[in-house]
Amino acid sequence: MKRLAFLLTPILVLALVLGGLACGDDDDDKAPTQPPTATTQPTDTSTPPPPPPTAAGTIKIGIIGPMEFVQGEHHWYGAQMARDEINAAGGISVAGEMYLIELERADSNELFSTADAVTAMERLITADNADFVMGGIRSEAVLAMQDVAMDYKTIFLGCGASEAELCARVKQDYDRYKYWFRVTPFSGLNLVKNVLFELGIAGAIITQGTGFEGPLKVAVLAEEAAWSEPVVGALNAFVPAKLGMEIVGVWKPSATATDVSTELSAIENSGAHIVVPILSGPVGIPYGKQLGELEIPVASVGINVEAQKVGFWDATGGYGNYMTDLNFYAQGVAVTEKSVAFVDAFIEKFDEIPTYNAGTYEAILLLKGAIERAGTLDTDAVVAELEKTDMIGPGARIVFTGNDTPEPHDITYGPGYATAIATQWQDGEMKCIWPNLGVDEWEGIMYDGTVMWQIPPLLAQRLSSE
Amino acid sequence: MIEGILINGLVKAGLYALLATGFSLIFGVTRIINLAHTALYMLAAYGLYYFGQELGLSLGVSIALALVVTVIIGALTYKLFIERIREHHMTVLLITLAFAIIFEEAMAREFSRDAVTVPSFISGYWEVAGVKVLIQRWLALGTAFVALIGLWLLLTKTKLGTAIRAAGQDAEVANLMGINVPRTFLITAGLAATLAAISGIVIGPTLGVVPHMWTDPLIMVMAIVVLGGLGSLKGSVIAAFILAYVEVIVCYSFPEHCYMSRAIALGAMILTLMVRPEGLFGTSFEEERL
Amino acid sequence: MVHPSRKRDYKLISRLIRDFNGDVLTVPGRVIALIFVFVLLLFPLANNDPHILRILIMANIYVVFAVSWDLLSGYTGQMNLGHALFFGVAAYVAALLNIHYGLDPWLTIPIGGVAAAIAGLLVCLPALRLRGPYLALVTLALPFVAVAIVLLFKSTTNGDMGLYGIGRIFSSFEDPRDNMIVTYFFSLVMMLPSVLIMWKLTDARSSIVRLGIIFHAIREDEIAARACGINTVRYKFIAFAVGGFFAGIAGGFYAHFLRVVNPQDTLGVFLSFEVIMYTVFGGICSIYGAVAGVYFARAFVWDYLLTDVVEVDVGIKRMSLAIIMVLVLLFMPQGIAVWIRDKIEKTCPRCKLNNAFFRRNCRACGAELHVVKKKSIAPDMSSG
Repeated sequence: MKRLAFLLTPILVLALVLGGLACGDDDDDKAPTQPPTATTQPTDTSTPPPPPPTAAGTIKIGIIGPMEFVQGEHHWYGAQMARDEINAAGGISVAGEMYLIELERADSNELFSTADAVTAMERLITADNADFVMGGIRSEAVLAMQDVAMDYKTIFLGCGASEAELCARVKQDYDRYKYWFRVTPFSGLNLVKNVLFELGIAGAIITQGTGFEGPLKVAVLAEEAAWSEPVVGALNAFVPAKLGMEIVGVWKPSATATDVSTELSAIENSGAHIVVPILSGPVGIPYGKQLGELEIPVASVGINVEAQKVGFWDATGGYGNYMTDLNFYAQGVAVTEKSVAFVDAFIEKFDEIPTYNAGTYEAILLLKGAIERAGTLDTDAVVAELEKTDMIGPGARIVFTGNDTPEPHDITYGPGYATAIATQWQDGEMKCIWPNLGVDEWEGIMYDGTVMWQIPPLLAQRLSSE
Repeated sequence: MIEGILINGLVKAGLYALLATGFSLIFGVTRIINLAHTALYMLAAYGLYYFGQELGLSLGVSIALALVVTVIIGALTYKLFIERIREHHMTVLLITLAFAIIFEEAMAREFSRDAVTVPSFISGYWEVAGVKVLIQRWLALGTAFVALIGLWLLLTKTKLGTAIRAAGQDAEVANLMGINVPRTFLITAGLAATLAAISGIVIGPTLGVVPHMWTDPLIMVMAIVVLGGLGSLKGSVIAAFILAYVEVIVCYSFPEHCYMSRAIALGAMILTLMVRPEGLFGTSFEEERL
Repeated sequence: MVHPSRKRDYKLISRLIRDFNGDVLTVPGRVIALIFVFVLLLFPLANNDPHILRILIMANIYVVFAVSWDLLSGYTGQMNLGHALFFGVAAYVAALLNIHYGLDPWLTIPIGGVAAAIAGLLVCLPALRLRGPYLALVTLALPFVAVAIVLLFKSTTNGDMGLYGIGRIFSSFEDPRDNMIVTYFFSLVMMLPSVLIMWKLTDARSSIVRLGIIFHAIREDEIAARACGINTVRYKFIAFAVGGFFAGIAGGFYAHFLRVVNPQDTLGVFLSFEVIMYTVFGGICSIYGAVAGVYFARAFVWDYLLTDVVEVDVGIKRMSLAIIMVLVLLFMPQGIAVWIRDKIEKTCPRCKLNNAFFRRNCRACGAELHVVKKKSIAPDMSSG
């Protein structure tokens, strides 16, 4: 038996390693990445289109994120799309000379270890000599990664962390933190505004459609995490005051929970009409599935990152119908004139609807604009030009907040700027339901492809009998 | 609210008990802290997905295949890797952790880190005393009940069960009495893997199946086993009920602090152990020497 | 004519040199340790790449953390699966003192260590009553309770987001690369004495400190140790306080080095398991095993080999490291460093001194060095 073990061990391990490598190759096929090369090699043999003869050099952009998770994946996809597009068109012109974009991919492991993320960032800047870095998803880790990038005076375009402090630092110490810009998403407080708008629309349609009188009851189901904290606080303050709805309770399961059936049971017991999920983890799937399968007569309106993915419908077996969520891209919805083409190209290339992390595409585009306007790669000159950015990308018109605002270098939120959208799953399709029917400054803001929000039939039934 | 607590607690306790008894069995008999126990539960859930959804086999066949494959993996891991270094307890702990990570990453390579789902065996829900619970979860509770009864019968009424208990109490003396201890240990490891696989198969459809789903229940399972007392299956079941009800009560009474339920359950475990250091139904170690 | 006092000096120096020649240079393990320390001290001359230095600084932090776990759990057998508790407590204390009272790192790190030592004394209370797996599980649960406390006092601890903007270890130079080199030396100043102290404390053959031999006794048979008149309670308290203190030093240094402290990174369950992984991989109950484990598994394999040489994603890194661990431990279950030491050193059967593997006779007593297999001192952690 012992000899057998000796024989079998290497075979098993070999199989495991080969399996791992084989699957790694599969990923490479899907997303053309650079083959593993030693960092001492000055130039990577990546897979950009053949350089035009005029190319004077390359601009190296570090793409850093948790590459095995959906946030990192879409971050990388967005970067690839921008690179391929720009390089195919000849590259970035700096004072008359054309530079090609070269991407340097770094897996930060930031969801599990800030130390790894900071090491990856330092390596990207000092060893791989990245001229610019983009990424950063987990706010706690980005606070540390930002400091490293600022130490080396490297421009760091944030693509994923919503923490307000990241931009507030620019105000506190401009000279040190001016190299930081946030391209996606907007800060936590603006996320709440969108959720409130969604709730407002749902509330109005429910009252009109069913003739229900009296305040609607709202239950909040928020994972306990750094990013959800300000969202829940603002919901508590504004939902009763602005919308006249009643909050019957806030349930906060842990961020690692795999099951929320107890919470759902308690929420149903509380008599809520609307559940506001604030979830980013995989628990969003059992949440959607059980809400439907248990036939709980409520509407779900909030932020459920799982429901932003194209696979949500199948994953819930259709039980996720009528889920309404904050979103950034949807097929066939023209947030700007570039949206539809971008989302279609993205789906064709990667077979997925882009999530907010794909904003890296815009980040590279606006960096290109700033470099070309500055006519140099000098960091301070590029920062000055970045501040003047006014670009229409596929997700939004991007204008950075000014240095007189409390949080400079953030993207401007509001009608005419970045608004994001809200989507509802309607019989297997993700439909945009907001912005529409706007009032005040939102008047007239409605993107092509927007439809009406639909009341979940069970809720309509329940309300008309109440 | 009381009905909600009672029924949700009951269902949760059943699942915990099913997961914990397997851990308790291998821990009590072979003294191995098997950190890969819940990884087997994860593997079984993925097995169900793979055979049922990707290969499109029928439900019965995919359940059987998922069960068999998981048990074979569990038993092989024990036979090939753990048995040879059983004497080094910390090394065993580490190797089981390494295997849990290997299993997790293997699944992440194969199925990506996005959640996959398995449809319920019987969709819909069953309402008892005004509380809706998925039929799948009732099914899981029933399975847990049957599996635990079966395990109890096996351990108390059969020769094999006697051998397992004897090997667990004193391996050397059991060996002298003519029991094939290595074989008994292997069977125990297989039994524990079976229990883990059963729980993965019946709970999997109610969850989003992700590669790192093994870490969340692991701590609770270990706490249950220790609170119940080492090697006491009865203790494990009762401790599963205690900790599950603590969690559910916290969630109902302090909804804004649901995330605390785990810490409070663990705090309850610590306090209980301070009063009864050998767990609720464990034997005292005071007279035992290493 | 040499002055008498000068003569004494010469004598002392020559004795030191003789001891050095006799006791250090003749034992391969000690020569390797010595070379290792010199390499660490001179490393920035060869390579001052900031990210390599950062990897080594992190390794130094983990070394102190892992060695403190080895002292507590390896030597005394008090299996602690929640060592991150001490790390996290100290990181939070150091960060809070620095942010609110502006104390400098050289003050906050030791104060953090003391706070962690106090936490160690508190954890020791259940440890007096609980044994084996029961203690392991209680210690595993404690960081979860600590996280709950952190989340309960959000106004002070800032909840999940944690604390940020903590002062640096060293930041006087303009160029961050120069700062990194100085920080690296500070990390050595923290790591080398800490490891030396813990190594001396646990030296079972020491004639000055009796701790080492008593720790071994408590682990092997606590009742027998008590029967011999050893106040095991006192020594358990000492083990927890010392282990907690040094884990706290590591935690405090971490807080000032990374400049963010949050519950997941400093109190997480994986941090507790990580430290056990490195220590057991290197060799439990040996101090140098923990050092070797961290430098090999963490700094070399994880941060260098799988990141710089072969660039792979984190998932494949985790899987490869796990496979390497399984393979190595399967054939060297007592740990890689202990296994190597057993190969290059032989213990004299008569006077128990260590000798180089190529010697035939003991360097001290001249006894013939048979092929005596050195009895493994890896602890038996079972309670059954």
